[in-house]
Amino acid sequence: MNYPVWEVPGIGTPWVIGCIAIFHVMISHFAVGGGCYLAIAMRKALKENRRDWLPLLHSHSKFFLLITGVFGTVSGVGIWFAIGLVNPGATSALIHNFVFGWAIEWLFFLVEVSSIVVFYYAWGRISDKLHLQVAYLYAVSSILTLVIINGILTFMLTPGHTWLEHASDRNLPAYFWYAFFNPTYFPSLFMRMLAMMSLAGVWALVSYSRLEQSATRDQLIRWSVTWLIPAFLLMPVVFFWYQHQIPASNWHLTQLGMATIGAGTFTQITRIALLSIMATSTIAAIAYFFAYKSPKDFTTGHALSLLFIALMATASTEYAREAIRKPFVIGSYMYSNGVRVKDVAAYRTDGYIAHSAWAPSVSSKGVKYEEGRFLFRGECMSCHTINGYRSMKHLLGDRDDKAIGNILTMLKENKPDSPYHAFMPPLATSDEETDALKYYLLSLNHKLPKNPNAPIPTPETAKSAVKVAHS
Amino acid sequence: MDKIRAYLDERLGLEGLLEFMSHKKVPIHRHSFWYYWGGITLICFIVQILTGILLLVYYRPGQGAYESVRSITYDINFGWLIRSAHNWSASLFLFSAFTHMFSVYFMKAYRAPRELGWWSGMILLALGMLFGFSGYLLPMDDLAASATKVGMAMLDILPKVGPWAADLMRGGVTVGDPTVQRFFALHVVVLPMIFMPLLGFHLWLVQKHGNAVPPSEYDTPVEERKSVPFFPNFMIKDLAMWLIALNVIAMLASLFPFQLGEQADPLKPAPPGIHPEWYFMSAFQVLKIVGKIIPGTPGEVVGMGGFTLGLILWVLIPLYDGKTESGVKARNAHYFGLLALGVLIITTIWGYAAL
Repeated sequence: MNYPVWEVPGIGTPWVIGCIAIFHVMISHFAVGGGCYLAIAMRKALKENRRDWLPLLHSHSKFFLLITGVFGTVSGVGIWFAIGLVNPGATSALIHNFVFGWAIEWLFFLVEVSSIVVFYYAWGRISDKLHLQVAYLYAVSSILTLVIINGILTFMLTPGHTWLEHASDRNLPAYFWYAFFNPTYFPSLFMRMLAMMSLAGVWALVSYSRLEQSATRDQLIRWSVTWLIPAFLLMPVVFFWYQHQIPASNWHLTQLGMATIGAGTFTQITRIALLSIMATSTIAAIAYFFAYKSPKDFTTGHALSLLFIALMATASTEYAREAIRKPFVIGSYMYSNGVRVKDVAAYRTDGYIAHSAWAPSVSSKGVKYEEGRFLFRGECMSCHTINGYRSMKHLLGDRDDKAIGNILTMLKENKPDSPYHAFMPPLATSDEETDALKYYLLSLNHKLPKNPNAPIPTPETAKSAVKVAHS
Repeated sequence: MDKIRAYLDERLGLEGLLEFMSHKKVPIHRHSFWYYWGGITLICFIVQILTGILLLVYYRPGQGAYESVRSITYDINFGWLIRSAHNWSASLFLFSAFTHMFSVYFMKAYRAPRELGWWSGMILLALGMLFGFSGYLLPMDDLAASATKVGMAMLDILPKVGPWAADLMRGGVTVGDPTVQRFFALHVVVLPMIFMPLLGFHLWLVQKHGNAVPPSEYDTPVEERKSVPFFPNFMIKDLAMWLIALNVIAMLASLFPFQLGEQADPLKPAPPGIHPEWYFMSAFQVLKIVGKIIPGTPGEVVGMGGFTLGLILWVLIPLYDGKTESGVKARNAHYFGLLALGVLIITTIWGYAAL
């Protein structure tokens, strides 16, 4: 490990990314789908001479500009900030591979943001034809941002054989296109596009529901509902394709929770996937019965409920997508705790601490508690917290020295029939380190001296121990 | 389609039924939101029946009770989901029934001619709580068995009939396998048999008399009051609420499934923090408080007596505030309602804080 560990008590670091990302996904999908929506709605209004649509579209585009331009951009930068802190190793690997991709992404992003500003502020000041062209420019540039980012997101789940074979080469950018057009690239692209169209419809419903009653409002509400149809018809097919491209071991993770809810068995992914199905069916029912069948009675309350359920569906789907990547953060290349697959053997022989740039200072070497704590922070804390989310205190309960030792041995051996094999990285520590980690874990629920073998602390050693504690 | 309709109409009198359903009008005003709670209670009950039937497929009362629930929760595909949905919808059922009861109370919907609706509702709520009490024991884990012991001990306090009734329900002097067998019979046969017809009667009354308007609407002349037909207009909205309730149940069951404790062992001491389900928490806490002030049996008698008296006053409200008039009686009834609601909420929170 070349980086220090960022500790977030309670919710843990994954949820820092999770909270920002779920929010961002809702808005960024709207930004892409909504751009197409505005362009197509405008074209339809002009072509079919429905000029009464235009004032409503103008109002919608203001809503769109504020939501996507402010919250979308801020949360997007927020994700960057968060992933760099939470998993610097993985972020570094992504940058080394995709620096070119990100450069293009920022270019498209710049065009996207500029064109939506022009689109809104030039309303009524430029010709219809030019205005429509600006709308198209926005739509195309926003789709292109998806085209790029999708390559990077899907790479993390399925980097593909070619890239994996050359992953340890120094010349990574040479394999850019293999990494980019990885096995799940296309199904994921289509899935996201379908989701974007639906979210464009849902957000448009929120926007129109606030307007005064009129025949135009009713027309636009009904037309917005039709934006949900492609997703409901095609999503199962595209999803099947996506699932087909995922390694069976990853897909298997979604089924762990069918039979059991035992603690520490990683079953929540099944439960959350179920929620996603439930929420999606509810969206279909509400959109049809409440918006399409009776647009007059469709209130802001209804629209916001729909948006909330869409948020639930998005959040649970994204959670499931992230979770099936386990035990890796980048499929078969880097484990979720930032340890590269190829480094495990060296860490076991020389010790994890020996390979860590931010290892405890010399004076706390051999202090079991401090070493164990460092190992916990490095190898476990990317998923577990002490007291909160996936709490180690709770999961370990009153297990004794021997029981914790057995778990660690199982994690180290990482046999295919181990209950943790499917979702936890193998423990990459030397034997002494495993012992130190065991001591630290035992100390969470049992009163143990922090330093069983240490000499009487001198001011110097005490100071460095404090330093380690705060690193 | 028309032919089928005509065929069924001739034999079943569908037109009459539709006519009956379209009679009911639902008043629209700023308190209309509270009309949904009866419907929410109903959908929760329907979920209870469906999930209950599915649990019956694997549940074994008596000696195998704990093992069967363990297997439902940790072995059988989606068994945990059905069990958790059953538990969560039970809680939601009682929560919405309480909300429904208080909304009826404060809208004074118990007034003539709706007294029977109030009374049947009160019996349904009491049966609902009995459903909860009997169902809580069925998994037979240590918390369930210990909490049931405490509940039975409360019954024991009642003079004369108390010990007899408690022994009858326990099937002996202590909570064990015979108790599970008896509670099971109560939970899946006796209670539903009483509950279902009474529920039918309650719903029929609602259909017959329609929704009551709250006192705040009394001053609006009848011709100016807004309303929508129950069928189909309000029913669509009701269905939307059902959909929301279903989502809430699914969400709770998926995100917070019910685990199972250790198997109940009569030889082991009771686990720490025994407490009843939340809907009995208020009564549990009131008895605890009274017990602290007046220790021993007199305290228990005072506590139970006070509780019974309050309940009787509550149930008989239509008798002393039964007419459409606003005066001292109506105001007092209102204050009594606020007091009851306040005591219920405060003692429940207090109960949990004191655990």
